[in-house]
Amino acid sequence: MNVQTKLDLLEDMLELEQGSLEMTCKLESLESWDSLAAISLIALVDEHFEKRLTGAMIKEFKTVQDIIDFME
Amino acid sequence: MPKGILRNIAIRGIACAVPKTVVKTSESNGLFGEESVSKFVKMTGVEQRHVASEKQTASDLAFVAAQDLIKHLEWDINSIDGLIFVTQSPDYIAPATACVLHGRLGLKKDCIAFDVNLGCSGFVYGIYIAGSLMQTGDTKRILFLGGDTSTKGISPLDKSAAMLFGDSGFATALEHDEASQIPYCYYTDGTGYKSIITPAGACRTPKGSHERREFGEGVLRSDYDLYMNGAEVFDFTITEVPNMLKSFMAEHNISHNDYDLFAPHQANVFMLKHIAKKAKISLDKLGVSMDRYGNTSVTSIPITICDAYGGKEQGIKKVLAPGFGIGLSWGTNYFDVLAENCLPIIETDDYFEDGGIVVD
Repeated sequence: MNVQTKLDLLEDMLELEQGSLEMTCKLESLESWDSLAAISLIALVDEHFEKRLTGAMIKEFKTVQDIIDFME
Repeated sequence: MPKGILRNIAIRGIACAVPKTVVKTSESNGLFGEESVSKFVKMTGVEQRHVASEKQTASDLAFVAAQDLIKHLEWDINSIDGLIFVTQSPDYIAPATACVLHGRLGLKKDCIAFDVNLGCSGFVYGIYIAGSLMQTGDTKRILFLGGDTSTKGISPLDKSAAMLFGDSGFATALEHDEASQIPYCYYTDGTGYKSIITPAGACRTPKGSHERREFGEGVLRSDYDLYMNGAEVFDFTITEVPNMLKSFMAEHNISHNDYDLFAPHQANVFMLKHIAKKAKISLDKLGVSMDRYGNTSVTSIPITICDAYGGKEQGIKKVLAPGFGIGLSWGTNYFDVLAENCLPIIETDDYFEDGGIVVD
């Protein structure tokens, strides 16, 4: 999956406009990045990447780049 | 290994009771913000829940359900050989609430009665415990009751839990029946005990802080309030539960055409749909009651069954019912139940007036 598709998935999940998310974007600066978003992300990587993401791993994510890097 | 087929036990009927007071999730708009609340509703599915008064306990709700079920089945009160009460909201620290219920229901003295401390997985565990008690054939009828008033142990200022849980109680009538069998499997991961926990008030930490402190935006909790790590529980559930269902169904040759109702513990509708998708279960068969009753802990499986069938359908229904959560503890059962014996959900404000503090 290319980076753009991954960004699209994240934008869709966070209910953001297409193209609004940048790789350097700090997660804590996003209003919609909260505990419910964390749960959505766990489901998203499970469904699209068949990867297991724990709560502890999510806490280590600082930027959009960190999430994209995990999506493989 | 707790996997196999429980023989000689049949589920004769199920009844549930909830308090009359309904709290709409949107009533929290002022506290947590409308956007935050509507996001919560969108994910969890909880539009409203029933909340017990200060005096009403889980056993009061189970008591009403039990009376209704005994009457419906026309069971002679003296034919009941056992009472199991599954709860994490007991009437007292001691004695066991099952004994209080035994007395209130007027059951005979040659009757086994005890409590089991489990939550979300409690219904499926109770079936196995009751079934095990029946294996000698001497214990013929068991009232398997349960309930929780989770709202009493949750901070109203904790947005991660305050809008999720509802109060309720249930009664299940189990009978020795050589023609019946219930496939089962059970699991535990005790390393996850901290994922959902009420830390203070029992013996490990008898005196915690009653002061509610902030743990992130919209999350204020004391040591006596329930804590739930949503991300950990979600990760655990979507990993373990679909795997369990797939291997359970393969082991017992259960095809997706066989069961009438998939009635999982009501944790979060988004999560339930994800589980169904992974386990290839049709959303048409997914029972959902938490939109109106919230996460009702141990009652969430029986309330989903009564919600689907109570006063609406007839005939034998096959139910696939996994429970999962606090412990961490999970398991599943696959059983038959007669739809007309799954009673409409009762709303009641009754409570045990003689249950207050003893001042001898």
